[in-house]
Amino acid sequence: MRQFALNYARPAEQLEVGAAYTYDSALQLNVTPDGRIAAHDYGLLREAGATTSTAGSKTHFDD
Amino acid sequence: MTVLILTCEQDVTADMVVAELNTAGVPVLRLDPADLPGGGVALSGEYVHGGFRGHLSVGDRLVSTSGLRSVWVRRPGVPGTRAARPSAWLTEESAQALYGILRGTGARWMNHPDAAARARHKPWQLHLAQRSGLPVPATLITTFPQAAQEFAERVPDLVVKPVSGTHPQDPPVAVPTSRVPPGADFSSIALGPTLLQRRIAKQADIRLTAVGDRLLAARRPVPADAGPDEVDVRFARTPVRWQPVGVPARTAGAVHTYLREARLAYGAFDFVEDADGVWWFLECNQSGQFGFVEIDTGQPIARTIAAWLARGTPGDGRPSEHRGTADV
Repeated sequence: MRQFALNYARPAEQLEVGAAYTYDSALQLNVTPDGRIAAHDYGLLREAGATTSTAGSKTHFDD
Repeated sequence: MTVLILTCEQDVTADMVVAELNTAGVPVLRLDPADLPGGGVALSGEYVHGGFRGHLSVGDRLVSTSGLRSVWVRRPGVPGTRAARPSAWLTEESAQALYGILRGTGARWMNHPDAAARARHKPWQLHLAQRSGLPVPATLITTFPQAAQEFAERVPDLVVKPVSGTHPQDPPVAVPTSRVPPGADFSSIALGPTLLQRRIAKQADIRLTAVGDRLLAARRPVPADAGPDEVDVRFARTPVRWQPVGVPARTAGAVHTYLREARLAYGAFDFVEDADGVWWFLECNQSGQFGFVEIDTGQPIARTIAAWLARGTPGDGRPSEHRGTADV
């Protein structure tokens, strides 16, 4: 027997893995491989799902 | 005067605000407390002759703590965890040093750690929402199987969700808000506190982002073919996008009361809208995501946060805006 709520658990999504941008410490921003600011590319952000309210991710404590 | 942002590097949502601050010419220092010490973050605080002076540095950036105008606590890592020899003691030492020094500055917080820690308690959220005048679905938090059984008889259509809002990490699983089927066996409720709540038959989800006095709300209609088991908006695979929506005056007043009582400068409220248009309070995430709403709706949430961090909300000292989209 396990805790009641865990009867409804499902695999966690780890959306932050494989993001198509990297952090630039000089800019204090994430940039794409061609140097663009990732936050300005809504299509990229939507595809990555990194700005989305999720559940089960280590880095998304408050969704 | 500098805005200090405490968050992890991969927090691209924070980038949206950093970009706005850059555009406004406001100095920013961004750091992840996980990098203190040894990961490029350093600090110093000196208490002598009845005074205090302190410094923070990240790489080649150095700021005086007296030069901080605000602190935005977004997605900070745990202090000390990227040190060469991490330990629970080092984490406590690093956390006490960083947050202790910052607490002694005159900077404004979004959100203050004390307020944030209290605001994470979902049972407290429900209590405060009730006191603030927000409709709250009938809820039971219990370890008594019999109490759960009796609650289910009185409120036959229930959902279950984590009390803490967190999810197990060993192994990592997600525990979404889920509908409890009729005839469920509640005996395992004795193994851990469980939150049961009346399921609201919703026609839309509402995300209300509060930044200071500014309220920016978005609405996502439930698809006509959605079943009653599709409860948790975070797991809804729908192409329907969020749209700006106005905030009913009564709800706006209650939300302002909630924020004032909670001492929060920022809060992301989740409501569900029933067939009568009533917004039922589910929770308030004191550091909730907002990027997905801005991307869908075009609402200037990042710009509003940047403005609050830089100089206070544009609405300070003026009547509050309750429109779904608002000028800045």
